[in-house]
Amino acid sequence: MSAPDWLPILRYLLAGAFPAGPLGGVALTVALTLASAVLSALLGLAGGIALVMTRGALHMLLLAVVGFFRAIPVLMLIFWTFFLMPVLLHIDVPGLATVVCALALIGGAYLSHSVQAGIVALGDGQWQAAMSLGITHAQALRHVLLPQAVRTMTPSFVNQWVSLIKDTSLAYIVGVPEFTFLANQVNSRLMVYPAQIFLFVGLVYLVLCGAFQWAVTRLLAGTFDAGGQTRSR
Amino acid sequence: MTAAGLFYLCQCISFWMVTMNAWLEPRYVAWIWRGFAMTLVLSASVIVCATLLGFALALARSARAAALRRAAAGYVLIFRNSPLLVQLLFWYFGAAVLLPDNVMTWLNTPHAVTLGPVTLDWPTFEFVAGWFGLTCYSTTFIGEEFRAGMRGVRGGQYQAAAALGLTRFATLRHVILPQAVRIATPPLAGQYMNVIKNSSLTMAIGLAELSYSSRQVETETLKTFQSFGMATLLYIAAIAAIEVALLIWQRRGAYQSGGSRFVRPGGS
Amino acid sequence: MKTWTRSAAVLGLLLTLSGVAHADRLDDIRKAGVLRVATFDSNPPFGFVDPKTNRIVGLDVDYARAVAAKLGVKLEIQPTNPANRIAFLKSNKVDLVFANFTITDERRKEIDFSTPYFASGTQFIAKKGVLKSPQQLGSLRIGADKGTTNEQQVRAQFPAATIVAYDDTPFAFAALRAGNVQAITQDGPKLVALLANVPDKEKYEIPPFTISNDYEGVGVPKNEARLLSVVNETLVNLEANGNAAKIYDQWFGPASKAPLPRLFRIGDPQKS
Repeated sequence: MSAPDWLPILRYLLAGAFPAGPLGGVALTVALTLASAVLSALLGLAGGIALVMTRGALHMLLLAVVGFFRAIPVLMLIFWTFFLMPVLLHIDVPGLATVVCALALIGGAYLSHSVQAGIVALGDGQWQAAMSLGITHAQALRHVLLPQAVRTMTPSFVNQWVSLIKDTSLAYIVGVPEFTFLANQVNSRLMVYPAQIFLFVGLVYLVLCGAFQWAVTRLLAGTFDAGGQTRSR
Repeated sequence: MTAAGLFYLCQCISFWMVTMNAWLEPRYVAWIWRGFAMTLVLSASVIVCATLLGFALALARSARAAALRRAAAGYVLIFRNSPLLVQLLFWYFGAAVLLPDNVMTWLNTPHAVTLGPVTLDWPTFEFVAGWFGLTCYSTTFIGEEFRAGMRGVRGGQYQAAAALGLTRFATLRHVILPQAVRIATPPLAGQYMNVIKNSSLTMAIGLAELSYSSRQVETETLKTFQSFGMATLLYIAAIAAIEVALLIWQRRGAYQSGGSRFVRPGGS
Repeated sequence: MKTWTRSAAVLGLLLTLSGVAHADRLDDIRKAGVLRVATFDSNPPFGFVDPKTNRIVGLDVDYARAVAAKLGVKLEIQPTNPANRIAFLKSNKVDLVFANFTITDERRKEIDFSTPYFASGTQFIAKKGVLKSPQQLGSLRIGADKGTTNEQQVRAQFPAATIVAYDDTPFAFAALRAGNVQAITQDGPKLVALLANVPDKEKYEIPPFTISNDYEGVGVPKNEARLLSVVNETLVNLEANGNAAKIYDQWFGPASKAPLPRLFRIGDPQKS
C-alpha cells in the first residue's frame, strides 16, 4: 500500500468517523481516560477519607466494597456495568458511560487505598496538633493533612491514571469505537497486515502513556509546590 | 425510619430475585468450571515464569554493564506502557504471520509428552500465545517489585557485609536478597493477583478460560446474571486465596520478628 | 443517619420503578427523531466500513435505512459483533438489530424477530483439499464466531470437533490463515463475500455442503408490537416494489464482488 492510502486510515484511527459520525479512535481514548481519571480521583479521595474516618461495621463494609472492586477483573466489571446496569436501573446508559463507570470504580478503589496510606503515613502528630488548634476534622483534612499527603500519594495517582489509558482498550469488548476497536476494524478489512497494525497501536499507546505521565507529574508538582513547601533533595 | 427503609429495600431486592430464572443447567456449569481450571493453570504457569524472569530483570536493571541496564530499562518501557490486550493480539495474530510457516505448523501439531503415569498434552497455540504475552507483560511489573525490594534494603547492610569480607555475589545471596524478597513479598502477592485478573484478557484470542466460558454460557442461555455471577465469584475466590496466603505468611513473619505496631490517627 | 435512610429509600424506589413498564418504543423513536440500529462493521457485504468515506455500509444497512425512512427519522448505527447483538438490544442501547441475525426458538424467548429477509446455511472455509465431507468435521479444529448459531449447530451435530470461538469472522479467518484452526464456519453468503475480499483467495475453498437451513430477520425488542409491525410492513413493501431485489443486486448481484443467485424472497415459505 502506498503512502496516500495510509493517510485516510491514519485519520480514521486518530479521530474515528468524526465529524460525520461519533468521535472515535485516539481522540475517544483520550476523552475516556480524562473522564475516568477525574471520576476515579474523586472516588479515591472520598473513599480514602472515609476509610480513615470510619470505625467498626461501616469501616468493615467499606473495606469489603473496596476489596471487591480491587479483586474483580476489569473485563468482568465492564460486562456487569454494560449488561446489567441498564437492566437494573432501567435508565438508558450509553456504552461510553458504562465503561467510564467501570474504570472509575476500579480506579477509585485502588486510589482509596493509596489515599488512606498517605494520610496514615503522616502519623498521629499532625492530627493531634490540628485538633489542639480547635479546628474540625474536615478542616484538618483539607488544610493540614491532604496537602502533605498528596506528596506521597502522587506516584500512585500517576501510576493509576497511566494504567487507565491502557484499560480503555478493553472498551473494545463492548463495541465502544476507541483506538483498539478501530484498529481491529481496519485489521479485519486489510487482513494481511496484523503485525504492522498492532505494532503501530502499541507505539501510539507508548507515546500516549509517556506524554500523560509527564503531563500529570508536571501538573501535580506545579499545583502542590505553589503552596511554598520546601523541597528536600 | 431506618428500619422501614431497609425493609422496603429488601422487598425490592427479593422481588427482583424471584423473577430471575432458575440456575444454569449442569453442562453449562461444567463449562464454567473447565474455564476456571484453565484460568488457574494459565495463571500458575505465568506466575512461575514471570517470577523467575522478573528476578533476572531486576538484577539486570542494577547490573554493572551499562548496555544490560539500558536494555532492561527499554524492555520495561515498552511492555509496561502498551495495553496487554494489544500485546496479546500482536502475539496471536501478528507474530503468527511473522513466524515462518513450518514453525507455525510445528506449534500447531499436538506433541504429547509422557512423564511416567502422566501424559502432558501439547497446549494449543492460544494457550502458548496467551502464556507468552502474559508472561512478558507481568515480568515487567514483578521485576519492578523486586527492584523496589532491593532498594528497600538499607545501605548499611552492604557496608556491613563488605566489612565482613563477603564477595559481591555472597553479599547478594546471603544478606541482600533474603531481605529484599521479604520486603517485596506483599506487593508481589498483589502482582500475582493481577496475573489472575489479567488472564481474563486472553478471551480475545480464543483461549477458553473463565471469562470466555462465562460469555459462551451467557450467549447460549441468555442468563446473564447467573453466568457472570458465577465467574465473578470464582475470580474473587482465587484472589481471596492469594490474599489469605499472604496474611498467613505475614502472621508467621510477624511472630518471628516480634510483630509490628499500627498507628491510627485521631485516637481511639 | 438521615441521609443514609433517604438514600436507601431512593434506591428502593429506583428498583421498584424498574418493574414498571416504560412507554412504547415506537413513540420514543419518533419523539427522539433517531432510529438506533446495530449492524456489523467487519462483515462485508452485510455491514462493513467503506474505506473511502469511513462510514458503515452494506446490505443490512440499506434495509435499516429503509425502515428509518418509513418512520421519518434519522438512522444512527452502532457497530457490533455477533456476541454483543442481543446485549445491545436487551439493554436498550439500540432499537433494532440488522446483523444477519438468525432466527431460532431459543432467541425468540428473549427477543422478537421480523419476517425473514435473508436465507442461508451454515458452511465452512478451509485450505484447499483439507475438508471434503461433513464427516471429517469431528476430527478438526474449527474456528467460529462467539454468539452465532453456526457455532451452536457445529457443536450439536459434531460433538467431537474442537471449536475455538473468536469475537468476529475476520479473527477466525486470521486464525485459519495462521494454521491455528483447520476450518472456519459461518453463513454461506458471508463466507463467499469474505473469500472475495481476501488477497490470497486461491489458497482457500468453500466445500459445497451445508449443515443447516437458516433464516435471518431483524431483531426487535420483546413486546413492541407496533414497532414490529412497522418493520414487517417495510420489508414486505420493499419486496413488492422491487427495492429488495435492487438492494440484493447491489451487494450480491452479477456485477458485485461475490455474486450469488437470489433464492429467497421476503415472504417465501420457509423450509423446515
